[in-house]
Amino acid sequence: MLKTTVVVIGGGATGVGILRDLSMRGVDTILVERDDLGYWTSSRFHGLLHSGGRYAVKDKEAAKECIEENTILRRIGRHCVEATESIFVRAPEDSEEYEHEWVKSCAECGISAIPISMDEAFKLEPNLSRKLLSAYRCPGAAIDGFRLLWQTVASANKYGGKAMTYMEVTGIETENGEVVGVRIRDRWTGREDKIACDFVISAAGSFSGEVAKLAGLTVNVKPSKGTLIAFNHRICNRVIHRLHKSSDADIFVPHGSITILGTTSIDSAPDDTSTETAEVVEMMKVGEVTFENIYDYRILRVFAGTRPLYSADPNAKGRSASRGFVALDHAHEGVKHFFSVCGGKFTTYRLMAEKVCNMVCEQLGVNEKCHTAEENLVDDPSPELINRAKAVFPSYGAELASSRLGNDKLERVIERIEKQPEMKELVCECENVTRAEIEEIAGEPTSHTVSDVRRRTRLGMGTCQGTFCAYRSVGAIDKEDVPWSKDTVNLCKDFLETRWKGIRPVLWGNMLRDIELTRAIYDAALNLSGVEDIK
Amino acid sequence: MRKSDILIIGNGISGLFAACIAADMGKKVQILSYGAGTLTIGGGIIDVLGYTDDGKPIENPVLGADKMASGHPYSKVGAQTVDKALRAFLKIAESEGFPYIGSPDKNQWVPTAIGNFKPSCLVPRTMNSQAIFDAENILVVGFDTMKDFYANMVTKNLRKHLKSDKNIEEFVVQLNFEYGRDLRDISAMDVARWLETKEGYNAFVNQVKAHIKNSTAIVLPPVLGLDPNYQILDSLEKDLGCKLVEVSSLPPAVTGTRLDKMLNSYAKKHGVQIIEKARVVGSEVADGKCQAVITEGFDRQRKFYADQFILATGGVYGGGLIAGIGSMVEPVFNINIDVPKVQTEWSYKHLFADKKQIFAQYGVNVDNDLTPVAADGSKIASNVKVVGRSLAGYDFCYEKSGNGVALITAYKAAAAFCGEA
Repeated sequence: MLKTTVVVIGGGATGVGILRDLSMRGVDTILVERDDLGYWTSSRFHGLLHSGGRYAVKDKEAAKECIEENTILRRIGRHCVEATESIFVRAPEDSEEYEHEWVKSCAECGISAIPISMDEAFKLEPNLSRKLLSAYRCPGAAIDGFRLLWQTVASANKYGGKAMTYMEVTGIETENGEVVGVRIRDRWTGREDKIACDFVISAAGSFSGEVAKLAGLTVNVKPSKGTLIAFNHRICNRVIHRLHKSSDADIFVPHGSITILGTTSIDSAPDDTSTETAEVVEMMKVGEVTFENIYDYRILRVFAGTRPLYSADPNAKGRSASRGFVALDHAHEGVKHFFSVCGGKFTTYRLMAEKVCNMVCEQLGVNEKCHTAEENLVDDPSPELINRAKAVFPSYGAELASSRLGNDKLERVIERIEKQPEMKELVCECENVTRAEIEEIAGEPTSHTVSDVRRRTRLGMGTCQGTFCAYRSVGAIDKEDVPWSKDTVNLCKDFLETRWKGIRPVLWGNMLRDIELTRAIYDAALNLSGVEDIK
Repeated sequence: MRKSDILIIGNGISGLFAACIAADMGKKVQILSYGAGTLTIGGGIIDVLGYTDDGKPIENPVLGADKMASGHPYSKVGAQTVDKALRAFLKIAESEGFPYIGSPDKNQWVPTAIGNFKPSCLVPRTMNSQAIFDAENILVVGFDTMKDFYANMVTKNLRKHLKSDKNIEEFVVQLNFEYGRDLRDISAMDVARWLETKEGYNAFVNQVKAHIKNSTAIVLPPVLGLDPNYQILDSLEKDLGCKLVEVSSLPPAVTGTRLDKMLNSYAKKHGVQIIEKARVVGSEVADGKCQAVITEGFDRQRKFYADQFILATGGVYGGGLIAGIGSMVEPVFNINIDVPKVQTEWSYKHLFADKKQIFAQYGVNVDNDLTPVAADGSKIASNVKVVGRSLAGYDFCYEKSGNGVALITAYKAAAAFCGEA
């Protein structure tokens, strides 16, 4: 049996934020996550660090929080943020009145919105539709969800915080109306255990209702599914918003060599991440207003996540439900020391954590204040380390690897390559991932599948969507001889199936061509699926 | 402009083979070629039919082809054509000094780069897997710094698939290529080129020799030379005193390149004219017959005239079919392929669906003479035949029938145009 002061349930942005915050205040904390970190909502979004502009008219409080947190995250999470800035553009069909109101609201909220001429806008973003009428520069940015989560956990680790993945909570134990522990089950080994604790904070997002049920409580979360399209092009260098009342498919966010278009809003089950062709076709139509050549861009994949919208009113729906967040102290319902936090946005994850931790610390009698805005998630690599990295990584890979690995892992990967230069071979050419990195990450105890390695390295997230790197990464992982590498055929198949899920609804043009190649390699040449009858 | 008897659009395996057959029968043949083709991406082995529709391994591909449901290209051309076409291929390979092994009525199990086996029918002698089943010792040879072959994984999986009394070990040959460490990656093509040099050959023999015991078979990536002959294989088998077996592997395909070279060589020797960089963008059809096809270059369009035309432009991958949102079209004759409007109906939920994928079977509908037909059954052009991957009704990946359908339909089309049944 394990023992700690606080158990956090849920390894999304909110959960890891709480883990880091409490750990920094000296409170013993363990986070348990049923899947991999960031498996659900915290990676299934645009990867947008809001400037607040999108909320300026409708929800000034949320807008102010966004711009404040945006400024903080650019600083403390700078290895996860690409400070692109954003442009809000108004199309002929968008209300001019709204534009005036928006300009005024941004000023009130402290969001810099600099008007620029359309000539200037087209110079900055040549692919923008020539029909657009006005444009403003704002401080939005792109942010890498997976990386932010792992780096937040790495920061918490320094203060003794611990995260356990693939650990399902099977029960919340109470005595005399007070939380005393949680029962857990390791999903890989099936082993059951208990963590004795004084407090439980559920940060389970769309699954908050299900977690609350374990303690016999009700939390009204309305999961709302949003679908996103990843294009295989950097269509724009800045985040592009439509300047109108928030709606579907009106945000483009550039990430490295790709662009993500989002999103939609449909009431759904918490675990519904399915996507439909019809949604994509509708989104393309809207997206065409911003980028008129949208049909010429190759789609990489589509994906979906659910927003954990909270509503005190169980009948509220979709975008009308609050985008703010709530922290519920369930003492009022008869269970002491059990909190649920839900709603909110990725951009404000740190602030949400701070507010919940303030509540918990007050009850714990901990006076230490929140320090999460003051300290960077990971240290910058030293000039010596960067020089060693530049000597071993191909082309611009040194910067990429240093950002995604953090110092300790970067150093271990560099050592691997220094010892064996051929380890710098690129397993994933699209995302510049070396064999040394794959082997290092595959060997970590938190890795159980190729997809786990993907979430930590970006393996297979680029143009080929696993067509070449599925074989290569599995071969490299096999060499590392980790316990989960025994069945290499199924590792390949499972990885390709996860990639296929995002391609299936958009199986036209080059996406279908790529799948033909994938099948020619893995089915025709390597026969991953056929039975064998060797005489 | 020279008018040919038969004009073939596409110089992949089906276009080249149709050209060889027609030229053999005395026809004046031209091939319009654009791009490198997929032959150099795919393997150079002739899969004819490996599995039934419900996934059972097939021992005799000719018999298996005879049982295919109507709509499948084999059911259209008939089992007899399957046999004839494959024998014609074997003859051509033999005459080019690059004989293939195997027989149309028997499948063989070929090792793959992941360490399992796939059924195929005719394979080059470098892939004669019998050696693996006969030998007591198997040495899986990889090359350090060479991409896309993991001796460790092949070894581990071969141990699972083969009888436990076999001794299976791995060995990694050091290449020491300067460019492999800094400048660029090394593919099987590079290693094949290296083995063609005296230094490379000797280095390979010197490193491997000590690991050869009695009754050994070497399993290695396709690196035994880039040309369609067995010089390197034969010399190595003599110098090492053991058999060598190449695996079915990932692109770039050395084995496919050899087959490409062999068919090109045969076609050119027999008077086939291959016109390169000729991208066919359309056709002229009048009175139910194709008069000409239109090519487009940098500055102008050109027309190519012929009595008869063979469309061998490939499938979606090769550019012979173009898929849009809820639509698919064959661009040369502008044939609309009947596909569902909603893309998710094109496929099953799983990519490896344990049955034929739906989209894989989309293609041009033809009658039993391989003449393209419209939805109402009427011929689109009576002097046109469609061959290979453009055809509807089969899933080469699931069935393991890719190069087989290409060769067999190409043979049928060419022979029919030459007056043979």
